[in-house]
Amino acid sequence: MKNPYRSIEAEVLKVTTETDTIKTFLLKPKEELTFKPGQFMEFSVPGVGEAPFTPSSDSQITETMEITIVRVGKVTDAIHELKPGDTIGLRGPLGKGYPLTKFIGQDILVIGGGVGLAPIRTLMYGLFHMREQLSAIVYRGGCRNPEEFLFREQLEEWIKRDDIDIRLTVDAGNDSWDGSVGVVTTIMDDINVNFARAKAIVCGPPIMMKFATFKLQELGVRDRNIYLSMEKNMSCGFGKCGHCRIGPYYCCKDGPVFTYDMIREYPGIWE
Amino acid sequence: MLFIKRGNLDQLLESLRGGYRVYVPRKMGDSTGYSLLGESDTDYVIGEIRSFEPLKSFFFLGREKVAEDFKPDVLRDDKPPCIVGAKACDLKGFRILDFVFIDDEYGDPTYMKARKDGLIISADCTGVGETCFCTAVDINPWPDSDFDINLSPVDDGFVVTTGSEKGRDTVENNKSLFQEETEAQVRAVKQNRNTVKSDVMKKAQEKRIPSADRLQRIVNKQYESNIWEEVSENCVECGACNTICPTCHCFLLYDQKSDGKLARFRVWDSCMINDFATVAGGENPRDRLWMRLRNRFDKKFNYFPEVAEEIGCTGCGRCIAACPGKIDIRDVLARLET
Repeated sequence: MKNPYRSIEAEVLKVTTETDTIKTFLLKPKEELTFKPGQFMEFSVPGVGEAPFTPSSDSQITETMEITIVRVGKVTDAIHELKPGDTIGLRGPLGKGYPLTKFIGQDILVIGGGVGLAPIRTLMYGLFHMREQLSAIVYRGGCRNPEEFLFREQLEEWIKRDDIDIRLTVDAGNDSWDGSVGVVTTIMDDINVNFARAKAIVCGPPIMMKFATFKLQELGVRDRNIYLSMEKNMSCGFGKCGHCRIGPYYCCKDGPVFTYDMIREYPGIWE
Repeated sequence: MLFIKRGNLDQLLESLRGGYRVYVPRKMGDSTGYSLLGESDTDYVIGEIRSFEPLKSFFFLGREKVAEDFKPDVLRDDKPPCIVGAKACDLKGFRILDFVFIDDEYGDPTYMKARKDGLIISADCTGVGETCFCTAVDINPWPDSDFDINLSPVDDGFVVTTGSEKGRDTVENNKSLFQEETEAQVRAVKQNRNTVKSDVMKKAQEKRIPSADRLQRIVNKQYESNIWEEVSENCVECGACNTICPTCHCFLLYDQKSDGKLARFRVWDSCMINDFATVAGGENPRDRLWMRLRNRFDKKFNYFPEVAEEIGCTGCGRCIAACPGKIDIRDVLARLET
């Protein structure tokens, strides 16, 4: 019988400082470990504890994996102290990924905010791998300030591509920013897709997901086509420990990506 | 059905000690509590009512090492548990825990092993506790299923029913300890069952507990009611109701380094405690005590019926007895009906 509590040993190969509070860790698991866009991993610092994160790298790269992590608590403090060569634990992949096959033939709207842009990078790689099967990709990203944007070089590359409609905005601009200013919903009015059939993916802070969802509804996107990345306290990662319940679901096992029609009636989903 | 004399049961349990850690209920003040059966011990009591503590603790330990370093398994060499005198409410508790912990892909290895290898010798209740209300959640005060062997107390011994292959093998291997039951004994069992059931029902009716088929609807309907806030005024957030509940299964994983080794422990957790659902960034979807109280009822009377077609309450009444704030689940259910 498999032990679902056991972590796989992995080595930290590289640490990239993205912002004051965000670092990306390039990891090499010592055993085979693959994942699908939208699935998450329990990342542990030996003896300190575990926390759940969605990888930020291309899921077709199987030898290594990148995870981008904001420093917010005990475990992430310890993670931010890690150096190349250190040993960590990975448990997963956990949860259900994005149902990419359901996206075939559709217009795809990707709405990301803040550190939500990290897991969205994994999804974007996945979408680009199947670009010919999608009728459109629209990307709208928002951050509080220009410095918060993760993977700037990547975003510049995507902006140069002609097979994606991409726009970025910041809540508060500064001298380095000549783009849009305002929350992400303010750059959603010029989107030109078939809203009634479009699939929308939203990932970011709860308040941003809430208003992006309402905006998508207003534009005509169906609740069953709005895919939300829910953030709950996920401990075991497979629906046993009881922490991340949303109505009849566990965020870890049945999500963490849910369509809005699945969860809209349950309280506290935006908290 | 068979009959076993009390003295022969002593012998049976003595022989089971070879292959099991045999836990028996012993008198502890007004109640009974479980402890290990030692060599030649006969100071146990079968019958009466459920023990003070829930039986989950023998299969789903309060604190247990579940992983070590990056090794695939945690090795254990202790014998499986044999629980003697388990009551129908306890068996119902196992049904819920089995639903949670037994599965092919992500099953809890130690729970599954203990359940698979363990032996359950259950027993009919012969009395009614102050807080018992099993009949209100559609449970009889005697085991109908989910046991290996059941004991129904009668004069000088017990009428024996087997409920599994393992139970039948155990009886077969100790055949000389059993004899044929008499008609009078079977009648005595029936009579005891009827008496106890009608006593529990009477108590449940006095408390005006809504019928089992209405509980889910009522909890749903009263989701926005201020009853939750009023009831929670007496809650001191100690988590005793969680700890003592035979169906509460929530846990947290806790890592530590000891003797240069990494160890991951699975430790019981309580949904009544403030930080239970808090995420690393500090957001807490249930930051008010009444929301956590409501969540507890929602989990038992809405979630489990929805996903497992089982009410997540066994009517054992342990949470009533354990609550320092005198919160009575029967009264809360009755209030929700109004």
